Amino acid sequence: MKKIVSIILGTMKIQMKNSFVRPMYRFCLIVNPISNTILLYYMFRNSQMSDFMTYVILGAGLSSLWECICFSSVGDINRERWYGTLPAIFCAPAGFNLIILGKIIGNTVLSLISLGITVLTAGILFGAGIRIANLSGFLLAFLLSICTFVVISQVFAYLLTLSRKTILFMNCLSIPIALVCGFVIPVELLPNWIFPLSYSLPMTWAVKLIRGTFDVNFTENEYLFCLAILMIEILIYTIIFCLLYRIIDRKVKIKASLELM
Amino acid sequence: MDRIKRFFEQCWLYYNGSNAHIDWEELIFYRIAIPLITLVYYCFIAKHSFRTEQLTKWVIGNSMLLCNNSCVFTIGATFEGERYYGRLKWLIVSPYSRIATVIQKGFFFIFESIATVILCITFGSLLFGVDFTNVNLGLFIIIMLTGIIAAVCFGLFLSIFPLLFDSMNLILNLVHVCMLILCGANFPVKDLPKAVRFISYCLPFTRSIEAANMLFGEFNKYRLLTLLGQELCVGIVYLILGVILLKIIEKIAIHKATLEIF
Repeated sequence: MKKIVSIILGTMKIQMKNSFVRPMYRFCLIVNPISNTILLYYMFRNSQMSDFMTYVILGAGLSSLWECICFSSVGDINRERWYGTLPAIFCAPAGFNLIILGKIIGNTVLSLISLGITVLTAGILFGAGIRIANLSGFLLAFLLSICTFVVISQVFAYLLTLSRKTILFMNCLSIPIALVCGFVIPVELLPNWIFPLSYSLPMTWAVKLIRGTFDVNFTENEYLFCLAILMIEILIYTIIFCLLYRIIDRKVKIKASLELM
Repeated sequence: MDRIKRFFEQCWLYYNGSNAHIDWEELIFYRIAIPLITLVYYCFIAKHSFRTEQLTKWVIGNSMLLCNNSCVFTIGATFEGERYYGRLKWLIVSPYSRIATVIQKGFFFIFESIATVILCITFGSLLFGVDFTNVNLGLFIIIMLTGIIAAVCFGLFLSIFPLLFDSMNLILNLVHVCMLILCGANFPVKDLPKAVRFISYCLPFTRSIEAANMLFGEFNKYRLLTLLGQELCVGIVYLILGVILLKIIEKIAIHKATLEIF
């Protein structure tokens, strides 16, 4: 166990340093939350909603967090391929799965800064803050949301290992996921035919859960319902990425395609 | 005649070259799917935040702004591309006109941008019910063309900066984000603070979006013509600035030896 923790912590540290030196990552981490907050503030300020700042801060924060994750974690395996280090980490005794997990956790933790920047921007520019109705519920929901982002990033990262068009798919994932998972607007406002897709993604439930903790009318039963579904979906996606790893591991060894650009 | 023919050949060669690596999958996603999804995203946010079913303003504004993919990102990265292809030093030392070199790079992207706007507006109209029955389509096309020409000139102006900097992608993304906020595609420019409004009016599309929205609401012929004239002026100013900057930056780049920096 100590060894696993040390591998994850070591990888996290390197990944955070590597990510932060990339100018585009810094753009996603710093500029995106500020611009998203400003844009959403001006869009929502005449909405006559009493809690419009919740939508602004959560919407801007979560979208920025997702963009950071999308343009870093999801493309990390491909980035390793370009660096020429993919075969080395694939064969490393520490285990490929564990190294990728460490990288994704590192990125996700670093990307949380974008949430802080969103809150700061809203506070400094518009004098707005957030009022959490259920603090303990929020902390649990927030922790589970981080797990959700880690799991989903791992699934997408493995899936994109099979493709050579990572940049294309990263661009394609960014806005659709933010829309379908209701980062800015509730999923219920989207057309009905999108619901199955939305509800099959754990981020939708994570967002519902977090948004619920800001709402005094969000009942305990609703909270528990969202929490249960979120945990089930996290479990399902964890099984999916374990299976995916096996498939990819097998495919890569048979086709010798690990370094194929 | 031979010079004109050579000019258009170079325009086509550049456009063709910058799209040569794109296969059908990338073409569908980059040129069709991503712009349409982006349009839908902002329209849904507007529907919820402005509590309205009339999304004409957002369909028009965001459709025009989606040209940024060609006008800002593709054209803005041209000289950076030239550096990667190893052609930059030849372009700099060539006795060929700088204005022609700069214009050649953006010429065919005007048509690509027109196709993007038409596609997005058609799709947005079908999905969000934008009514074109009482709209003067000829005037609408003129407004669209004016905005695109101004944006292409702006892209050409930005394309000079890679001669000095190596993080062009960052600069272009920053510009795109600013345009998303400041051009009035998602909320009225008058909502912004006065000082920021000045920056809005220095950017392309701000006036053409306002003019296009005018066709669907209160029509003021004098105001429309003023907006179009000013939009063209914005484009011309950027083009002139681009050419002047190219000459200055080229000298600095040669002096600092940053011409082929990676």
